[in-house]
Amino acid sequence: MNYTVINRDVHVGDIRLTAVASASLFLIGDADVINLSSAFDTPPESLIIGPFVPLVPARGDTP
Amino acid sequence: MKRTSVVQTFHAETLIISSVLQIGDSERISTRTRALAVQRQYELFFGPEGEQIFPVFAKPIPRWTSPPPTAARQTLHESPVISVQSVRVLAISSSAIVHIGSTSTAEAEARMKHIRQLAGSESSAPTRGRDS
Repeated sequence: MNYTVINRDVHVGDIRLTAVASASLFLIGDADVINLSSAFDTPPESLIIGPFVPLVPARGDTP
Repeated sequence: MKRTSVVQTFHAETLIISSVLQIGDSERISTRTRALAVQRQYELFFGPEGEQIFPVFAKPIPRWTSPPPTAARQTLHESPVISVQSVRVLAISSSAIVHIGSTSTAEAEARMKHIRQLAGSESSAPTRGRDS
C-alpha cells in the first residue's frame, strides 16, 4: 500500500496558551517519533487526616 | 526533509521543572520529572521525606513501540514553511517541551505523587511549633 501526504500552506495567527505541563509537547514543526507519558498518583490514602507525622509508604506500598 | 518554522513573536512567562524551550531544529529531546507534592494544613517540614520510593516513581510505564509500517509513505512539502504570527505561553512546567522547529524524537516523562495532610478534629494544632 502507498499513501502520500501533501503539506500545503500552513499560516496560523495568534496562539495563546495558559500552560504546557506534565510531559506535554507544543510543537511548531515536524517530528518523526513522539513519546510522552505522565503518571499522577492521588489515591484515597493521599488524603491524610490526623496527627502530622513524617510520610512513610503505606504497607504494601513499597515497590 | 523537514519544514522550516517561522514565528514572528514569542513570549513565555515561566519555564520551570525540567522543561525545554527549543528554538531551532533538534535531533532528540528527552525530559524527566519526579515530583512529590505535599500540602500540610500547617507549615511543617520534616526533612528527608522525599527520599523514600513510592511506587508511582518506580513502576515501569509501558512503552508503545510502533509496528513496522505496512504502507509506503511519501511526504511532499508543497510549502516548505509553517508560519505563526505570535505565540504567548504563561507557563511551561514539569517536563513539558515547547519546540519551534523540527525534531526527530521527543520524549517526556512526568511522575507526580500528591499528598494532602490535614489536622484531625482533636489535633487541631501541629505537634511541632508552627513557626519553629
